[in-house]
Amino acid sequence: MKKVISILLTMVLIMGLFTGCTGTKAGSTVDSSNAAPSTELNIYMWQQYISDDLIAKFEEENKVKVNLSYMSDNADAITKLTAGGGQEYDLIMTCDAYMESLVKGGYVEKINFENIPNASNINESYWTAKEYCVPYLMNYIYIIYNKDTSPVEIKSYNDLINPALKGQIASIDGARNLFPIALVALGYDPNSTNESEIAEAYEWLVKYNQNVVAYGNAEQNLTNGTASVAFTYDGNASWAMSELGEKNNLVIADFEKDPVQLGFDLYVVPKGAKHVDLAEKFLNYITDPKVMAANLVEYPYSCPNDAAVEAASDTYKNDPARDFDYKKNVFFQKDVGEAITIYNDYYQKLKVGE
Amino acid sequence: MSISKKQKRKRLEDVIGAIYSIAIYTILYVPVFVMMIFSFNNQRYNYYWNGFTTQWYSKLFTNSAVIGSLWYSLVIAVLATVISVAIGTIGALGLKKYEFRGKKFVNNMLYIPIIVPEIVMAVALLIIFMKIGLALGMGTILIGHCTFCIPYAVVTIKGRISGDGYSLEEASMDLGANRIQTFINVTLPSIMPGVMSAAFLSFTLSIDDVVMSNMLAGAKNSTLPVLILSMNKSGITPDVNALTTIMILVIVIAMVLNNIIKYALKKRNKAEATI
Repeated sequence: MKKVISILLTMVLIMGLFTGCTGTKAGSTVDSSNAAPSTELNIYMWQQYISDDLIAKFEEENKVKVNLSYMSDNADAITKLTAGGGQEYDLIMTCDAYMESLVKGGYVEKINFENIPNASNINESYWTAKEYCVPYLMNYIYIIYNKDTSPVEIKSYNDLINPALKGQIASIDGARNLFPIALVALGYDPNSTNESEIAEAYEWLVKYNQNVVAYGNAEQNLTNGTASVAFTYDGNASWAMSELGEKNNLVIADFEKDPVQLGFDLYVVPKGAKHVDLAEKFLNYITDPKVMAANLVEYPYSCPNDAAVEAASDTYKNDPARDFDYKKNVFFQKDVGEAITIYNDYYQKLKVGE
Repeated sequence: MSISKKQKRKRLEDVIGAIYSIAIYTILYVPVFVMMIFSFNNQRYNYYWNGFTTQWYSKLFTNSAVIGSLWYSLVIAVLATVISVAIGTIGALGLKKYEFRGKKFVNNMLYIPIIVPEIVMAVALLIIFMKIGLALGMGTILIGHCTFCIPYAVVTIKGRISGDGYSLEEASMDLGANRIQTFINVTLPSIMPGVMSAAFLSFTLSIDDVVMSNMLAGAKNSTLPVLILSMNKSGITPDVNALTTIMILVIVIAMVLNNIIKYALKKRNKAEATI
């Protein structure tokens, strides 16, 4: 009897395996017939970055199912795309810095903007690789500090390496976030590919490193008093300021000359996407000023959609985290080509010491 | 009367031993307790303590994403365990019992998936699956998990097979049992402890895994560790703490029950023995 059961169980298991595989395959062949409108949309993006209510509304209006899956790093999306996994998704979120390589490598589809009339609401001055992507939200990366406890009043990046700030800075991490500010501080191009300039930037960052108390969780360390200065995204600054509410003593560093980094998160349609019609519908939906304005209530990041900002709530418009007047003095992260290995080498040296 | 030198030394050893174990257990369990305490934190993100609440526990059961991915992880872990242990048992027996050309090579090759960084295996598998047109999903994650569970299972089970088993097997077949009967009634029970530890090891490896699952997950579902990792950018919400607290409690209760049952059985056996 035992024997029979074990053989049966094995057979069920093996069959389960095969049906599992064929099942998914059959599904994909059905999807690729483009005749009928798609009923499913697969999006790969950041977690906690789009309002669940808006997704639910889109599903209801179009009688479709939206599958959201989440990346933990921009590199996840790039690896999946370059390995050929793009066809699993209909929309993938990535950032402006990767666009050039993605277009060059032929990993993304051109977008038919005739089906996305609302895209005209997006401010064109920041829009890179316009045929291939739709910008979603954007991040200024700037300095905020506690005006009561910070020993230094910060007016430039060079103030950050002042020894008086020892153990005072909470900072975001990543080679392509840290090196640009060092390069700007030294008067070089933030996307430099010159090794001696990058080496100098490394020396600058060693001094910066001595002042950093923690990488990551900047808003947490600011609100609980671990750090008095933070190098962080405006969305996170907004959270920290609204968390402190009435007691807010955080101010945005009043830069006179240095530019700040501006990064975009944007949607691309990967090559081989199976539900392009629905992806376009979704892009048109999310660029609708009213929809985006509602999204900004939950996720108060900077937004390239001018009409949506116009339609946004007063709380959003008067957010102290966006109240700084050098918004136009920005630089973007660009593809540095082969020089990325130089950056990575120096970045590792910075992280582990020599 | 003074304490003898020997007693003094014994006492010192006891104190050092106690300090040592307290230090080790503190390092092991303080993070777990902090994590559990913060599951009662009345704040959207776990930045600092903001008052007591149990809302995250009720939210947990309405948040289908976290619970859904927990089930997904469990199903994958159970399947990966069954497959790895089945293949691992057959492999271990074959590699231990039979001599064939290239056996040493096969044995050494087993360690390759263990040594190679997981991310390399994951990307390689992703590329292969994409080339042959296999859709990403539970099947691909399962294959990925098996690639690192099977070698561990083989190695663990192989260590349990001892030479004495062979004479028992021969005796069993002498007495008229066929190979399958011998396997089920003699061989398998003799290596059962190895099979069980291989099963627990595979289950743990699979349910913990984040690198492989992250690369091989499809668009529709992801495992719990992948979901938690993706929360890292904006901050992990306390419902994840709540879930982990429940998981730890379940394990602790299971272990306590296990010990109680064992104790009861032992007592009963003893009582029977004295009668």
